[in-house]
Amino acid sequence: MDYILDLGAVTRNMDQLWQGLGVTLLLTLAANAIGIVAGFGLALLVLNRLAIIRIPAMLFVEFFRCTPALIQIVWFFYCVPMLFNVFLDPITMGILALGLNLTAFNAEAYRAAIQGVPREHLDAGIALGLSPAQRILNIVLPQALRNSVPVLLTNGIGIFQQSALVAIVGVADLMYQGKTLATETYRPIETFTVVALIYLAISFPVSQFVGWLERRRGYAVR
Amino acid sequence: MTAPIASAPLLCIRDLHKSYGEHIKVLQGLNIEMKPGERVVVIGPSGGGKSTLLRVVMGLEQIQAGSVSLGGKPYIDARGRKTVIDTELRRKIGMVFQHYTLFPHLSIMENLVLAPRKVNAESRASATERGRKILDRFGLAAKADAYPSQLSGGQKQRVAIARALMLDPQLMLFDEVTSALDPELVAEVEAVILQLAEQGMPMMMVTHDMWFARNVASRVIFCAGGVVVEDGPPEQVLGHPREERTREFINRVFHIKT
Amino acid sequence: MTMTLDFAILPRFADALALGLWTTLKLTALCIILGVGLGFLIGLARSSRSALIRAIAGTFVEFFRGTPVLIQLFWIFFCLPLILGVELSNFVSATIALTLYMGAISSETFRSSLKAVGAEQMDACIALGLPRRAQILNVILPQAVLRAIPTLLSNCISLFKESALVSAVGMADLMFIGQNISNNTARPVEVLTAVALIYFTIAFPLTRAVTLIEKRMLRKLAA
Repeated sequence: MDYILDLGAVTRNMDQLWQGLGVTLLLTLAANAIGIVAGFGLALLVLNRLAIIRIPAMLFVEFFRCTPALIQIVWFFYCVPMLFNVFLDPITMGILALGLNLTAFNAEAYRAAIQGVPREHLDAGIALGLSPAQRILNIVLPQALRNSVPVLLTNGIGIFQQSALVAIVGVADLMYQGKTLATETYRPIETFTVVALIYLAISFPVSQFVGWLERRRGYAVR
Repeated sequence: MTAPIASAPLLCIRDLHKSYGEHIKVLQGLNIEMKPGERVVVIGPSGGGKSTLLRVVMGLEQIQAGSVSLGGKPYIDARGRKTVIDTELRRKIGMVFQHYTLFPHLSIMENLVLAPRKVNAESRASATERGRKILDRFGLAAKADAYPSQLSGGQKQRVAIARALMLDPQLMLFDEVTSALDPELVAEVEAVILQLAEQGMPMMMVTHDMWFARNVASRVIFCAGGVVVEDGPPEQVLGHPREERTREFINRVFHIKT
Repeated sequence: MTMTLDFAILPRFADALALGLWTTLKLTALCIILGVGLGFLIGLARSSRSALIRAIAGTFVEFFRGTPVLIQLFWIFFCLPLILGVELSNFVSATIALTLYMGAISSETFRSSLKAVGAEQMDACIALGLPRRAQILNVILPQAVLRAIPTLLSNCISLFKESALVSAVGMADLMFIGQNISNNTARPVEVLTAVALIYFTIAFPLTRAVTLIEKRMLRKLAA
């Protein structure tokens, strides 16, 4: 191997990577804000009794879950301006595309958590004379929200990783800055390794936290 | 050196000590001697160490002190911090659990023939032949090719008994085998155990069903606080207990049960 | 700006898209086979008695699950040839990257399904006096594999979707060909929508099937 490692090329340009990381974090946090709120609303639509509401909502969820995130993003960047005649800055577009994707995945997490509340608890609510609204507010939602937290966090960290895809449509995130730097400095090994480690440094603690949360919950249930 | 004599105990449990961690002491110096042909039912309050006793005899638990021998030969021995188990001797004991523990991925017949084939290197044909006979005796011949998930709880438990019998055990252990069953399924499992009892199979059993205990037992042991409190024929322990603690327990149980 | 949609242009590109889909499916199938094998080995390594082997396997999995697949792909495409001193075609790079991805997520599947085989099954093995080999080969592993099947299938669907990434290193899969047609015809709405629908048509029935298989499997193994 003739390649001699030289981290200097990367360390001299860390500013560029930090800038990219800022964009990546902005994309992740904003997409999560959308996904956590809109996902819950969408879950309620998916669970609606009326087929005319339920079926489109389910189709929305399934469409995002059953197509590559890359085509969703590319589609969004090329087609939304054409179809709806709206022109937004790339970061906003990225946030919306990732946010919609996360909305679909989180809706599924909320749905599973809501349906996972045991029937007996609802029966007990009826037996105690609680009204339907009280049963939802006091029995179903508190349990469902608590049970959905680990999956929401996992999905949230998933979108952090998926956000790298926006580099392909030219949003200047961490991935994009890394690719640019690697090309400019001819130092792909150093650059891509550092970029990968930055992603890992953020994902890893969160995934460990989720694991801890799930183990603790596992004990609590027993 | 010593040839087993007729009166030698079948099972000899000596000074068993078993605890979980530092504070939870389940068995505290428990002794039982069981003669060939005896059917011992162990009763007692929950947490009194009954199930743990059976699990220790099966060699499923580590113990802190004591030993268990079968036919005069020790096969479980606490040596220092380790529990030494002679797996060859242990194989002569069969056990049935509360939750059936059939292998869900295997058909009923495959459940039966697995151990004879793997333990005794018996041919599939010969094991299947014996399996059919046992299933037939238990009224399960039609279920040979079914899977556990297709059976009722009572059927599953009878299969579990059949599976244990495939190895011709010298002693059978039954750990609350009817506790997980719906009430209407209890009788079919108890009938199978009674059938075995009539054929002279030695057994040690933990059960909460006092009527069944009286029917099947040749001897009843009342266990509490990790030791044997009272030990005698069923008429005595269940009918006219001598110990105050036994009397209290029997009164409570029969008042709730009937 | 007014634009009219003209989906009638699509049949002209049917052959090209079919070719791209074929490449996507071939690549996915190859990486499933290699990745499931790799995942099984890593899963066993993660349950190994040696702390060192466990740590190595664990680090591997955390690394691949903790970083974007895109950067893994770029690393293999741009960096691995420099280290090895040989050219790697985009096909080879893509295969390595997706195999490692599949291996990492599937090892988790195998590990958790191994764990899910209850302690009671082990008790039954001991009570029957089964030798260690038979305990593992006849009782524990078959149940673990059956339990793993539904999740492995959804891993396959994930892999099918992730495979669109290989377009970023110039491999002519469905995504790549779709984007090319879209750029050349300047009709992204029609072409990209069609490409998305092709992915959907394959992935959606599979996800339904996984749900059904999972229910059946859990019912069977609940005994």
